[in-house]
Amino acid sequence: MKIDDLEKLENEGAENLPSEERRRFLRFGLAVTGVFVGGSVLSLTSARKAQSDMGPVPATGAFPYKPHYTMVIRQNRCIDCERCLEACAKTNNVPSYGYRTTILQREREIERGAKERVFMPVLCNHCNRPPCVRVCPTTATYKDKKNGIVMMDYKRCIGCKTCMAACPYNARYFKEENRAIDKCNFCYDTRLSKGESKTACAAACPAGVRIFGDLTDYDSEAYKLIHMPDKVVWVLRPETGAMPNVFYMND
Amino acid sequence: MKRNNKSVMNMVGLAAVVGLLVFSSLSFGEEAYDEGTYGPQAPIVWAKPVKGVVFVHKIHTMDAGLTCDNCHDKLFEMAAGTAEKNADFTMDSLYKGKYCGACHDGQMAFAANTRCTSCHAGVKGYNRLTGAAPQGKAPVKH
Ligand code: SF4
Ligand code: SF4
Repeated sequence: MKIDDLEKLENEGAENLPSEERRRFLRFGLAVTGVFVGGSVLSLTSARKAQSDMGPVPATGAFPYKPHYTMVIRQNRCIDCERCLEACAKTNNVPSYGYRTTILQREREIERGAKERVFMPVLCNHCNRPPCVRVCPTTATYKDKKNGIVMMDYKRCIGCKTCMAACPYNARYFKEENRAIDKCNFCYDTRLSKGESKTACAAACPAGVRIFGDLTDYDSEAYKLIHMPDKVVWVLRPETGAMPNVFYMND
Repeated sequence: MKRNNKSVMNMVGLAAVVGLLVFSSLSFGEEAYDEGTYGPQAPIVWAKPVKGVVFVHKIHTMDAGLTCDNCHDKLFEMAAGTAEKNADFTMDSLYKGKYCGACHDGQMAFAANTRCTSCHAGVKGYNRLTGAAPQGKAPVKH
């Protein structure tokens, strides 16, 4: 049978395929997407792709921390006013040569040669599988066991910058004043631990771009936003497997 | 020999067509921008209440066909920068039909609460358009 002929066949659906059969393919890293000619021909895709097709938002109940902090970025609302950066720098003593959060920009072609500017706020993603933590030789950077924030213990940092190299998101800088790496900690020391409910950047944003919240609180705006059925939610560089907790969407 | 002649002729023909295109685009296409009719050519860049909001006269007058008195002096004073001194120069006012909101209501022109970056060029845009040095981006020394 030729490939052309195969394409014309009707997909009989993989529901009736025995689960041992599916598992056998999963072991090779493949998932069955279709059955043809009474099960004698299978259509396969890589299991990894099948997983990423489900989207970057973990299933409800699968948030390992409590509270499980997140930031949802409603990207198309960002106007690069940079009030967030000012608030962050002031709150967390960020020097002018570094940043804990910044705004990237790019131009995108829209209809008939017209261009649209897109501003993209970025910060530490407080990854569930943080490459920075894995490589730190002194455990100066660690993922808090309770709330999942990726924190710094400045005293332990020897300034080797291995974490800077490991972070796929460029979220770290070397702070001369501390002789240590500095990074976003969701304002844990400066605000959250003092009873504030929002980070400085989220509180300063006039456009409702940065929605800070707790994914284990199903009534929170952040939880609701990323679970709207009609919206596309994405994370940056999902292929690194770091599992970010900063989600992006267009409102 | 014959072929050579032919290609030379083609070249002449092509040159003539190109000449015609350039000439015609000068004569009908690109109308010269007249600041008296269409307003200042340089973009107006507001810094308040947020930095880097850009207004370009040409898009509104020469391209969209508005005249000066459509906006001046009812919606905006003639002197650039007057509006941003007003406490009500905010998005909320626009939604209520003031300032740009008089047309940017989703009927006449795209609504003021959509397509944010069409007008908002941000701090980056502000620095680019005014030639201001970006702040806090001094070269990093390691
Ligand atoms: S404060 Fe909000 S709108 Fe302004 S640059 Fe930051 S994220 Fe964008
Ligand atoms: S974004 Fe970078 S610094 Fe933040 S947790 Fe992930 S790897 Fe670490």
